[in-house]
Amino acid sequence: MKISPEEVLQFTGLQKKIDKIFSRSLRIRQVDAGSCNACEWECTALTNPVYDIQRFGIDFVASPRHADLLLVTGPVSRQMEFALKKTYLAAPEPKLVIACGDCALDGGIYKGSYAITNGVASIVPVDAYIPGCPPAPAQIINGLMELLKKICG
Amino acid sequence: MEKILNKALKTSERLNEFYIETSKIDFKNACVYLVEKKQALLRLMFAADEREIDNVFRIYSVFSVPGINKLYIIVLSLHEDDAEFPSITHLIPSAHWYEREINDMFGLTPNGHPDPRRLVLHDEFPAGVYPLRKDYRFKNGGWFKGQGERISSQESAMSDKKELAACPLPLAPYKFMQVEGEGIYEIPVGPVHAGIIEPGHFRFSAVGETIFFLEPRLFYTHKGTEKHFERLGFADGVKLAERVSGTSSFSHSSAYCMAVERMAGLEITENAQAIRTLLLELERLYNHIGDIGNICAGTGLAVGYAKGAVIKEQLMQLNERLAGSRYLRGVNTIGGVAKDILQHRDDILSAIEIITKDYKKLMKLLLGAISHVERLENTGRLSRDIALKLGATGITARASGINDDLRKSHPHLLYDRLEFEVHTMAKGDVFSRMMLRAEEAECSISMINTLLETSYRGDLAVKVNNIPECSSALGYTESPRGSVFYWVMSDKNGMPLRVKLRSPSFCNWPVVPFAVHGNIVPDFPLCNKSFNLSYSGCDM
Repeated sequence: MKISPEEVLQFTGLQKKIDKIFSRSLRIRQVDAGSCNACEWECTALTNPVYDIQRFGIDFVASPRHADLLLVTGPVSRQMEFALKKTYLAAPEPKLVIACGDCALDGGIYKGSYAITNGVASIVPVDAYIPGCPPAPAQIINGLMELLKKICG
Repeated sequence: MEKILNKALKTSERLNEFYIETSKIDFKNACVYLVEKKQALLRLMFAADEREIDNVFRIYSVFSVPGINKLYIIVLSLHEDDAEFPSITHLIPSAHWYEREINDMFGLTPNGHPDPRRLVLHDEFPAGVYPLRKDYRFKNGGWFKGQGERISSQESAMSDKKELAACPLPLAPYKFMQVEGEGIYEIPVGPVHAGIIEPGHFRFSAVGETIFFLEPRLFYTHKGTEKHFERLGFADGVKLAERVSGTSSFSHSSAYCMAVERMAGLEITENAQAIRTLLLELERLYNHIGDIGNICAGTGLAVGYAKGAVIKEQLMQLNERLAGSRYLRGVNTIGGVAKDILQHRDDILSAIEIITKDYKKLMKLLLGAISHVERLENTGRLSRDIALKLGATGITARASGINDDLRKSHPHLLYDRLEFEVHTMAKGDVFSRMMLRAEEAECSISMINTLLETSYRGDLAVKVNNIPECSSALGYTESPRGSVFYWVMSDKNGMPLRVKLRSPSFCNWPVVPFAVHGNIVPDFPLCNKSFNLSYSGCDM
């Protein structure tokens, strides 16, 4: 992937923010709340050698108890509502929540279906959104940056 | 066949679909005859609420007989006041989930089913709610029947968003199968797992490290997709089909489009057929190579995983250049395709050339890593017998010695012009599934190259006239995971009356407990990765 010099500067900015706020490490717990799995594959791609998100000190963790941030995908199916709440409660404070993907925003194409709630914000408090269906790995990195910008002003 | 046809109430034939309507008494016999005497495979089974047309529910079971390009569909009509049908599960085990699904969604009871628990709907859905019946509606947090009779509300603590901390347990815990005995203990896992994967719950009964019994509970991602198709209309349905299962977007939308096109009597152009075939093979390629890389994550071979992921990423970026979507979304439309992919001929050829070289190096690396191969051999073995009885499809079936590939058995698009063979393996272990993916990936590469050698006639898409009323048709493709089926029916206004979709994962999930029996718990992720199952596609 070709990255322009401006983008490199942006990434450095992200790095600085993580250094400042989270002592050089941002740990993400990804929660699938009913997505079609495309968002998950893009999150997985973040850890491949092309995007290599670990070089920024960002990584995915196995448990919400290790996490600074929940990255929630999917329209939140009614059958995942309970599990999402429990996962949110299990994450320690201070915690951040990102709703990732168009479904997570408001139900996306599934809006109006009997089996979904209307997006992540209707279940747990959301700090930022990453649009896209699915958002590409670079867009997810950008979204993380936007959130950090919002926090430190 | 005469035996069934003599007793049929009505038969009709259209394209390669042969509908045989039977009475309740003959329904079971007709299905069993096809399976036992003709070695037919049960492709899918579903119900439709056709009360607004002729006041009945119908059950359809779709079979295909090896060697014949025809789909035999046994149809049974049921009246609302007699909503029971004879279960065929004890004679045709692959019907087990279909019948439970019909019971959940339509309230039509399979009489004599060995496992009458709910399958798709969890405790969040009150008893007596049948979402796919036309007279049931979900509105303002409650279910309504008919003209406004409220049958239940969702005012439970589950929907109290402010009281997050209260968060009580569901009222009626699901009854998992229990294994009792000395030294047997239960390990509950999920629905939120350790990795970046979809939600599902697994209940292991283990003796030490060895899995004695596993019961998965799925359908956490149930999104009411089939009902949602009815609301969206035929054209927007394509977008929904693309979002049923992320990495099979193109297979799903192609099968859906094929069903609607066949229903409307549309013939798509050679050009559109070539583009669809090409993209189906590109989808297979990125999935197979990605899966081979992922299997390395199951054995801890980091270098294999990383290399697989890089090749997959190259293919995803190629997809984006071709279609504007890494998941090949937005290309299919009813009547053909929206984008001229073939104008990128040179880009595809040069990308495939680089990928082929990298991929060959990767396979050499993997097969040379003794510790990797040793973990794969004899792990997660699925016998041919179980695969056949439970109706496994795709790589899962072929790795267990079942010669079944829709591209050959029911040729569609340009597959009858392409030269390829259906690869099978005998052993049914993780290694067989990996090697089969490798063989099929090479086969896809050669198909892609062949497809790009010639030019094709016709526009990208043909004009879609009105959808004929009260008609129906099947559409299908062989996705990277196995066969995908759509059955669509239109109502009197040219809107969808019923869209049934059957993803390969719906057939392959039930075989997993049999494949992991006797393996160690730490190998479960490896077995699971080798099947590459979709949760969302299964849960719908």
